[in-house]
Amino acid sequence: MFSQNFPMAAATIVAEDQDKLLEEALTVVKAQSLQMKRCLDKNKLMDALKHCSTMLSELRTAMMSPKTYYELYMTVSDELRYLEMYLIDEFEKGKRVSDLYELVQYAGNIIPRLYLLITVGAVYIKAKEAPKKDILKDLVEMCRGVQHPLRGLFLRNYLLSITKNVLPDTSEENPQRDGSFRESIDFVLLNFAEMNKLWVRMQHQGHSRDREKRERERQELRILVGTNLVRLSQLEGVDAACYDETVLPGILEQVVSCKDAIAQEYLMECIIQVFPDEYHLRTLPKFLAACAELHKAVNVKNIIISLLDRLAAFATRDGSVPEELKLFEIFSGQVATVIEARPDMPTEDMLALQVSLAKLALNCYKDKLEYMDKVLRNTADIFTRMKTTNIDADSPAAAKELTKLLKLPLDAYPDVLTVLRLENFTPLIAFFGYESRKHLSTHIVRAAIDKKTKFAAPESVTALLDMVAPLIVDQEDQPAEKDDPEDFAEEQSLVGRLVSLFHSEQPDQHYQILSTARKHFGNGGETRIRYTLPPLIFSALRLAVLYSSLREQDELWEKKCQKIFQFCHQTITALAKADFSELAMRLFLQAALAADKTGVENIAYEFVTQAIQIFEEDISESKAQISAVSLLIGTLEATSCFGDDNFDRLSTKCALHASKLLKKPDQCRAISTLSHLFWSGSNAEGEERRDGKRVLECLQRALKIADTCMDASMNVHLFVELLNRYVYYYERGNEMVTLKYITGLIELITTNIASMDRNDEYNQINANFQNIITHIKLKQKSADGPNYAGITV
Amino acid sequence: MSTARVAMNRQGVEDAYAEPMNFLEIDVLDPQTHGLGRARYTDYEIRLRTNLPVFKVQEAVVRRRYSDFEWLKNELERDSKILVPALPGKAIMKQLPLLTKDEGIFEDAFIEERRKGLEVFINKIAGHPLAQNERCLHMFLVDRRIDRNYTPGKIR
Repeated sequence: MFSQNFPMAAATIVAEDQDKLLEEALTVVKAQSLQMKRCLDKNKLMDALKHCSTMLSELRTAMMSPKTYYELYMTVSDELRYLEMYLIDEFEKGKRVSDLYELVQYAGNIIPRLYLLITVGAVYIKAKEAPKKDILKDLVEMCRGVQHPLRGLFLRNYLLSITKNVLPDTSEENPQRDGSFRESIDFVLLNFAEMNKLWVRMQHQGHSRDREKRERERQELRILVGTNLVRLSQLEGVDAACYDETVLPGILEQVVSCKDAIAQEYLMECIIQVFPDEYHLRTLPKFLAACAELHKAVNVKNIIISLLDRLAAFATRDGSVPEELKLFEIFSGQVATVIEARPDMPTEDMLALQVSLAKLALNCYKDKLEYMDKVLRNTADIFTRMKTTNIDADSPAAAKELTKLLKLPLDAYPDVLTVLRLENFTPLIAFFGYESRKHLSTHIVRAAIDKKTKFAAPESVTALLDMVAPLIVDQEDQPAEKDDPEDFAEEQSLVGRLVSLFHSEQPDQHYQILSTARKHFGNGGETRIRYTLPPLIFSALRLAVLYSSLREQDELWEKKCQKIFQFCHQTITALAKADFSELAMRLFLQAALAADKTGVENIAYEFVTQAIQIFEEDISESKAQISAVSLLIGTLEATSCFGDDNFDRLSTKCALHASKLLKKPDQCRAISTLSHLFWSGSNAEGEERRDGKRVLECLQRALKIADTCMDASMNVHLFVELLNRYVYYYERGNEMVTLKYITGLIELITTNIASMDRNDEYNQINANFQNIITHIKLKQKSADGPNYAGITV
Repeated sequence: MSTARVAMNRQGVEDAYAEPMNFLEIDVLDPQTHGLGRARYTDYEIRLRTNLPVFKVQEAVVRRRYSDFEWLKNELERDSKILVPALPGKAIMKQLPLLTKDEGIFEDAFIEERRKGLEVFINKIAGHPLAQNERCLHMFLVDRRIDRNYTPGKIR
């Protein structure tokens, strides 16, 4: 009496004892099953049943953990197969073992009795001895006799597995006698209800301090209960209508009224997984209404998301959702209800629901912008209700979900302009902290670039740049310390690439766009403009050239060009003022080239002088000077708008700065390069200047400088380079450059090179020299071409 | 063969999933030793949790020493008709300081063993439907102090 009120729970038995228990039980099982088989082989059925019953008695234990009991159960049910096979065999041979079904019910204990009854019942069904439906009904009712959770669950699992292939379905030959899928549904639903009851009851067993362990064990057993749902889904007769009217309500009644979080969470998920998506579409309101009634410890979010994602994927895969099914409205309303009903749901869970809703909106209703916008508005409402101002600070997990939510439309829509049309998109960004805002901004810019979205109106440019403001201007809440310079450069170069997307086919509109962008970028401060303004200038210069080419159609072209050049002038000056001197100089030269193409000499002249002025005032580093001078010379060489006066002034400046370079070799090279200005540079008529005299002057001056070079190998090196130029001009027909100079230079080089040390430098210089000599020899041999007759090499 | 059976009453869903109405858990915890010399003793926390209607409260925490358990056993043996289970042993030998080298009945291992024994004992008693009616059991489990001059009787 006393001891029964204080049961020793299986939980208190330690692992090694479990092994021992199992070993002992299996020993009995093996021995008894051997005896049973021997008796069967001798056709002693009654004796066999006795042994079988003893074997089955091992399943009466209350000491085993679910895992151990499962192993024992598997072994025993394997052995039972032998008995089943034997009986089927006997029936097929025509031997009637009459009244076996009644006979086994005399087994002394309920566990062996019911296992035997089920086994024999299944044989009767297979042998068509008795009406299927009656036997099934009887078996499922009889199993009520076992109310111990663990033993009951396994017994019913045995019932379920042994009847697997005999449940009546649509193809039943004699539905009158054997029943149809209707009876099968009743059978499985009843078994399910009973199993669920046992499973839930386990929760109340044993001491409350063992709750966690008990819940773990219940999780291990859940598949036994879930198998019922699998069986229902396998019935042919369960079509969408039958599922809607009978099966689902039957399942949900148990799920909702069991009020057990573990059971509800698992079974709802199980329903979603085992039944087809078409069925879910049809029964959506029913299923979701049940969700709202679940225990408050159930993670409803996961269930709804699981269903949402499945249906969204289904709708995309299978074409469109039926028109009459307001999938989005249903889910949206349901999500709102669930959130309202659970005030303590974590923010990230509420947002995760919105993310799934957004996926549905984007997958199934891509053209219905208002759906996506509604999700965003719901989200903003959640924040407002919770008085959130900085979601990063409140909940990093929620911030992650919000990022996910906002990235969805960016990735889904074919262009970023569509996102700009979502009214609630930009306001949501404000709920982020600085880091997340910046992260999202970068994502937006990348999306725009990847999708090659064209921003063809000043308004859309403004909308975009406002949206990605953390990349464009300093933010009030940004941290005091500076970004890593490399990251910053990468980020701002990305912003710079946006400019290529700011484009209108109408030149006037395009100018408006550039002015708008200029205003925004101008507020970015000195560190940003270095990356953002140059692309604007290039775009503006291209526009100027375009206007110039349209001069026939647009009589205001010159005025417009002038305005653009002013825009460029002012923008480049901003860069110069921010101490980006080299960059500013290059841009002025670039502007000069554009102005030259439009043929406006005074503007081109102005730009070149600006470049020279920056050079004179701000570029002092010798290496920078070298490249600046050669750039200047190169630019002038490429122009064709300068009259002789301006050309003289500018080329003189070039010569001056070339000769003022720090090192002799640099002077020498710059001046020899300068020579080309007078030869291939164009005059205002577009012809090459071909001023042989000034070319020669340059070469001779360069030669003199090379001669004064102290470093012997450098000296020879420069001579060889100059020889190359002499040969070039000679062959181009510059009459001032005669063979006399070439012969003299070759002699000079030959002498000097002989006294050089034989090293890598020598090899290189000598190779260059020999190339020139070989070239001359080849020309001597060929009939046409320049005449080298007068020289010996 | 026949599958005809006597009809059974179907259980409603509410019933099927109802929480059991006989929940009763008594923990004996947290032994503490007080006093010095002859006045030295150990007591235990007795924590009751139940949903049985016979107990007027669903939770109670009191502290009891071994002699209180003895008192309860005596009361039940005198007034009720139930067979009262044994208490864990009194450990006479351990109570003689000259015969033990260690702390005797104040040794941790001994206390833990006694605690387990007392827990089994009180759960057996409290689980018994007849014992549940005895006033002494309720006083033992719920009242802060045991009034040894109480009037024995039944709880209704």
